[in-house]
Amino acid sequence: MDLFANLATGFAVALTPANIGFCFLGALIGTLVGVLPGIAPITTIAILLPFTFSLPPASSLIMLAGIFYGAQYGGSTTAILVNVPGESSAIVTCIDGHQMAKQGRAGPALAIAAISSFVAGTIATIVIATASAPMSWLALKFNAAEYFSLMVLGLTGAVVLAHGAPEKAVAMVLVGLLLGLVGIDVNTGAPRMTMDMAGLGDGIGFVPVAIGLFGIAELAVTLGRPQERHLLSLKYRDLWPSWAELRACAPAMLRGTALGSVLGVLPGGGAALSSFAAYAVEKKLSRSPERFGRGAIEGVAAPEAANNAGAQTSFIPLLTLGIPGNAIMALMVGAMMIQGVQPGPQVMTAQPQLFWGVIASMWLGNLMLIVLNLPLIGVWVSLLRVPYRLMFPMIVLFCCIGTYSVGNTVFDIWVMLLFGLLGVFFYKVGAEPAPFILGFILGPLMEENFRRAMYLSRGDPMVFLERPISAILLAMSLALLVVLVLPAVKKKREEVFKE
Amino acid sequence: MTSRLNVPDLAFAAFLVALGALAFALAGELSVGTAAAMGPGYVPRGLALIIMIYGAVLGARAAVAGRLDFPETAWRPLLLISASVALFAVLLPIAGLAITSLVVVICAGYAAYDVRLRENAVLAVALAIFAVLLFVTALGLPIAVWPW
Repeated sequence: MDLFANLATGFAVALTPANIGFCFLGALIGTLVGVLPGIAPITTIAILLPFTFSLPPASSLIMLAGIFYGAQYGGSTTAILVNVPGESSAIVTCIDGHQMAKQGRAGPALAIAAISSFVAGTIATIVIATASAPMSWLALKFNAAEYFSLMVLGLTGAVVLAHGAPEKAVAMVLVGLLLGLVGIDVNTGAPRMTMDMAGLGDGIGFVPVAIGLFGIAELAVTLGRPQERHLLSLKYRDLWPSWAELRACAPAMLRGTALGSVLGVLPGGGAALSSFAAYAVEKKLSRSPERFGRGAIEGVAAPEAANNAGAQTSFIPLLTLGIPGNAIMALMVGAMMIQGVQPGPQVMTAQPQLFWGVIASMWLGNLMLIVLNLPLIGVWVSLLRVPYRLMFPMIVLFCCIGTYSVGNTVFDIWVMLLFGLLGVFFYKVGAEPAPFILGFILGPLMEENFRRAMYLSRGDPMVFLERPISAILLAMSLALLVVLVLPAVKKKREEVFKE
Repeated sequence: MTSRLNVPDLAFAAFLVALGALAFALAGELSVGTAAAMGPGYVPRGLALIIMIYGAVLGARAAVAGRLDFPETAWRPLLLISASVALFAVLLPIAGLAITSLVVVICAGYAAYDVRLRENAVLAVALAIFAVLLFVTALGLPIAVWPW
């Protein structure tokens, strides 16, 4: 069995003491920061990205992945206890989770969130392990034209799932693509749009852009809003859900996992979409839908399972095709490239230790979260009592030091500041930064494949339609866009995002 | 201030047109090449052009889209957070990490409306020590701690 041999390779890497340590550290820090309100997982990863660069590639990715699902988990904790979704995928958890907490059942809600995440994580790990080989095989059939079309599909997906107006998301993708091109042209060595600034030779730094948009901008915006937090008291005695509750949740968990696993792979998909869909499905299937919104435990189990499964399977396109499906995966690509690992199908064959090590660590990380977080809920809760004014100066300082440490140059700090201000502007005009960062990462890759495909076809753009896989990918993008402008879907989409 | 236009949309459109124009001008000196053998300027200029046109269309639509004011800005957090980042960039090379951290945290602290003088000072000292211990002592980043 190849699968087990591969997973064994993975666990051999993930279970070294150092990597267990990094996985643990990642999950711990991720949860810690994820619990803090106003800091989404993407911000957490952006801020902590630079600190993993000195590690070996496998350890660095293991730790980043740990931060990622740790932050997801932390987001659910605040959703349940404070009714503040730490991130978009926890919005649904707020609905029933916080109701449960109000009824004095915060313990079971937290426990079921953790258990659902773990179950989903375990299944999703197996899904990744089995789906990766055929995906990589498919990827080897890909030529420049197919890669280009695939990226078009990925960016279209990001537009469809953006929260604000889709036409602004399109603009953000375009701006991201353009700014991604700044720097020396790989083909000719000509500096492009650098305004003769030496600091821009290698392009606009990925870390300062990400930290500026997701760290600095978010701080400035969050501080401008009134801080209201109603913390519920929590009794430990009744932490565990009853057998009846567990039994009621089991099918919801499995359905959520299945849905999340599928939606996570889609370009632009991932955690948020999965949790919305899973909640809707449970409400539809339930024999007593009126309980939803009033503390139905299935309403916590299904979306939590789905968002964790979706978060994990969104690694599939990244690990097999080298194409990030969402903004967080775009940060992962950035991390891999800084580590000198070119993401793509060759990672699996050329660096099986890295590939399977990261996959195995995901399961390990999920296990750690359940072991670590349930007993530590008290600590996380007390963290919530720390006023924001004592936390954000530390975040500002860490953003600065983190950005500086990448290249040891203050030029990057100014870039970070510029993108922080741009981020505030984007927020004000209702344009989301996630499609931007995806475009920014994909810009150079897309241009390279576009140029190569056009070169091979001697300048005939029909090449993108003549090659069947490429044509199918482009047709899918078009279909997504058409669906988006249909009035019925448009209305539904607005409703979903409003909830 | 009430306006008769959709100000956020117009502002975004103006940003797109300005950025596109800037990029188009900057990429102007690069050779464009042909579709079969693209020069370094082909894709950037193409994108810049698309962004300008797209921005113009958005702007035209915003002019008739119904009124919406630009959301109010919370100037205090925005300015003080920006100032503390700028202070970091200016001070770090000349003053070292310890003093820089202290100044940055004090400045950033005032971005919160409920800042307390003494609490903020204590926080600044604690964070400065923490930053030096974590980043220089533990993680070994090559950053000078003191100005000398």
